[in-house]
Amino acid sequence: MAEVNLNSLSKSFGAVEVIPDLSLTVPDGAFTVLVGPSGCGKSTLLRMIAGLEEVSGGNIMIDGVDVTQAQPSDRGIAMVFQSYALYPHMTVRQNIGFGLKLAKTPKAEINARVDEAAEILQLQPLLDRKPKQLSGGQRQRVAIGRSIVRKPKVFLFDEPLSNLDAALRAQMRVELAELHAKLDATMIYVTHDQVEAMTMADQIVIMKDGVIMQQGRPMDLYNTPQNPFVGGFVGSPKMNLIKGPIAQGYNADVVGVRPEHIDVSQDSGQWEGTLRYVEHLGSDTVAYIDGKDTGSVTVRLTGQVAINAKEKVFMTPQTGNIHLFGADGRVERA
Amino acid sequence: MGGGFRCFSPICPPIESTFMSDLTPSGAAKAGATVIKARGRDGRWATVLLFLPPALLLFTLFVFLPLIEGGQYAGYKWSGYGEGPTDWRGMRNFETLSGNSTFLRSFNNTLIFVAVAILIQIPLGMAMALMIYRKTWANTIFRLVFFVPFILAEVATGLIWSFIFDGDYGVTSIFSTWFDWEKVFPLSDRTWALPVLLFVFVWKYFGFHMMIFIAALQSIPEDLIEASRIDGAKPGQIVRYVQIPLLKPAIAVSVFFAVVGSLQLFDLIIPLTRGGPSNTTHTLVSYLYNFGLVRQKVGFGSAVGVVLFVVSFIFAITYRATVMKARTEQ
Amino acid sequence: MNEFGWRQALRIITLLIVTVLILLPLLATLLAGFKTQGDLATNPFLLPRQWHLEFYGQIINDPQFWTYLWNSLFISVVTTILTVIVASMAAFVFAHIRFFGSDYIFGYLLMGLMFPFAAAIIPLFIKVRDFGLLDTPWGVIVPQVAFGLAFSILLFRTFFDEMPKELFEAARVDGCTYPRFYLAFTLPLSMPIIATVATFIFTGSWNNYLLPLIMLNSRETYTWPLGMLQFQGEYIVEWNKVLAFVTLSLAPAIVFFLAAQRYIVAGLTGGAVKG
Repeated sequence: MAEVNLNSLSKSFGAVEVIPDLSLTVPDGAFTVLVGPSGCGKSTLLRMIAGLEEVSGGNIMIDGVDVTQAQPSDRGIAMVFQSYALYPHMTVRQNIGFGLKLAKTPKAEINARVDEAAEILQLQPLLDRKPKQLSGGQRQRVAIGRSIVRKPKVFLFDEPLSNLDAALRAQMRVELAELHAKLDATMIYVTHDQVEAMTMADQIVIMKDGVIMQQGRPMDLYNTPQNPFVGGFVGSPKMNLIKGPIAQGYNADVVGVRPEHIDVSQDSGQWEGTLRYVEHLGSDTVAYIDGKDTGSVTVRLTGQVAINAKEKVFMTPQTGNIHLFGADGRVERA
Repeated sequence: MGGGFRCFSPICPPIESTFMSDLTPSGAAKAGATVIKARGRDGRWATVLLFLPPALLLFTLFVFLPLIEGGQYAGYKWSGYGEGPTDWRGMRNFETLSGNSTFLRSFNNTLIFVAVAILIQIPLGMAMALMIYRKTWANTIFRLVFFVPFILAEVATGLIWSFIFDGDYGVTSIFSTWFDWEKVFPLSDRTWALPVLLFVFVWKYFGFHMMIFIAALQSIPEDLIEASRIDGAKPGQIVRYVQIPLLKPAIAVSVFFAVVGSLQLFDLIIPLTRGGPSNTTHTLVSYLYNFGLVRQKVGFGSAVGVVLFVVSFIFAITYRATVMKARTEQ
Repeated sequence: MNEFGWRQALRIITLLIVTVLILLPLLATLLAGFKTQGDLATNPFLLPRQWHLEFYGQIINDPQFWTYLWNSLFISVVTTILTVIVASMAAFVFAHIRFFGSDYIFGYLLMGLMFPFAAAIIPLFIKVRDFGLLDTPWGVIVPQVAFGLAFSILLFRTFFDEMPKELFEAARVDGCTYPRFYLAFTLPLSMPIIATVATFIFTGSWNNYLLPLIMLNSRETYTWPLGMLQFQGEYIVEWNKVLAFVTLSLAPAIVFFLAAQRYIVAGLTGGAVKG
């Protein structure tokens, strides 16, 4: 297991610069999630760490070794692709053992290590099948098995759960987290799904346009976002970001309040508004409100609250949970 | 592949879905056709009776029947004129063939062409494909150039190369002059005529196989190659362990076309050697044409035709069996 | 990445050698028509010492040459049109209407894929003669259509099978008959495969030598391959003239190829790889 250091990495495709200058440290044994909207550069970054993309500038260190110019197979990494990339003409056993076979590992050892990986992932009954005979979840486990058997220093995951349906995804999230605990491995995981990020990560790295907007523990990102983008990215429903006169009132550029941190009253409150639409979820009630000065606001209330559309309401943000973002990068709480 | 029709022909090319589509769970067959039940008021039968007969008629009259008649004529000695064959000889024509050294030579030559097609054309096509399948503008140009020989008419190709190899007035004669050698006439040389033909044969057709392989290579998902690189595969190993195994269906198609094409070689032979020197470079078809049709020995020629048919048929059956077997094993 | 420099070099060299082997003969052929015989004898590959236009001119001004081309054009166009119509109609039936024995009939027609044309040339000659079609373009057209059916029907049917069934059902609900559907939907939507089939059939017919050789006897009916070898027979050693003829005859095919190459390649490889 190893620490990964990215120092001043930059990447350009021709004239287009996708990553200007990125530095990051992934601690040994950490589960780090790279997350961000489409095109933010997370996959490109992962592929650079893997060695599948050339680096335009800066360097990459894995376990203290500079691997920036090294071939993918010499970096001590293993990768799980979004499409799993299983060899269709090989059995599961051959798929998992392929890397070892290329390294001229003795047959007995290949079989032993494949069996070991198969046991961890419960693939034993499937070892002689071909990929086309497997379900999506099983294929994904084979892809993971192929990575495990190489005993890499770093595991790389490129949106591995995107092709699975919601139920399976939830199940695999748990399994992957358990796998991480079991192997105590350094894992770098790319996704666009913030739920996956929040639930699985030791460290989240939020990216936008090739720049790290914030990195830290999930709860830190939730509680203390350093800019409106991060505030709006983490948490569902999205944080309300309010500009204009109200922001000026707080001496800030943008005011951020999470939907769960707003109280609603029909009598009085700080901000005025009209209910546009209400969703009754049973456990929560989500209200979409058109505020007079605030613009559209989403509010999440616990339990089943009897309010209806077109009603006039008042909203009050909870003190201590108001995030103030200044134009100069200043961040405060009120 | 949709419809899931069952092909009863022994030579139906592999119609099942390709490797890649087998990976998606939804390789489900598209819905088949409506089945005609007793009621049929929607003009099904009218359509069938209108749409199908032209093809059936043409095919039966001009493909199927001639083949049967060919088998018939083979039992006669006939000049091809008059009402019909009358001089029944039984298997005589075939006996003559089996003892005729020119025929045996042309049969052998044909087999040599088939062997060269499989052992040289196809590997060469694959090698070229592996070199230029990636989509760059340079590769695109190479692809076009390498495919040009295939689109030229065989006769024209033969003529061009007979110019090149003409010892008196062609390029070969020029080399002789430059290097002060004696004049060479490869096309009239018993040792060299066939190799020259084989060379032109490969020149003309390798591009066809190359195209088939390029399509197959381009359909291999890029992340499969990347995964193998991460697994530690060097370029040679990628070719050997990942690409070529996945090319098996394409190879099957290539072999089919290669054999079928080689068995019918004619247009290339005529302009280059006309079957000479001394009838040493005939193929089955050029032999048939020269010794059967031109000399008005229709029965004899038909016997050759029967031989050709039998060879094709045996190939078709064997091919189908091997290809089917290989597919079910996968 | 740089360890494989020698690999790249080897690759480039191989590709260039093959390119030269292909282009040089073609270039020589193209230029030969502009040279005198003497020039050609000593200088096959380079530009002519003096550009002579009269050899090409002789051919272009010969009405016989254009007759050859016209014959080929007529035969090829008619063959293509007939094959496309007959084959698509048959394939339509197989794709949409299953009846008892339809699979067997389909298999019967597909057997044509494995019948070498050459095995049937003698009986075909006799049959065409008995039909009175010898020495006419139809003597070439009809057998070509017949032998092109197996391949074309297969291609068409594969394509038709992939068309969404819902389209057909919706039309049926609207009261559309089979023939109407064929004309209004199947054909218009099948343009890509029609183009592919047409290209193959046309090219095969255009380049065909054996069949016209057997069926056509009078020079006025000759297609261009026959005409070309006839010309060569007259001017045997005058390679400059012969190669001028070859160039002129091949020009349409090459131009067509360059213009339509994307289609040809896509159709060929898509159909071939998928089966």
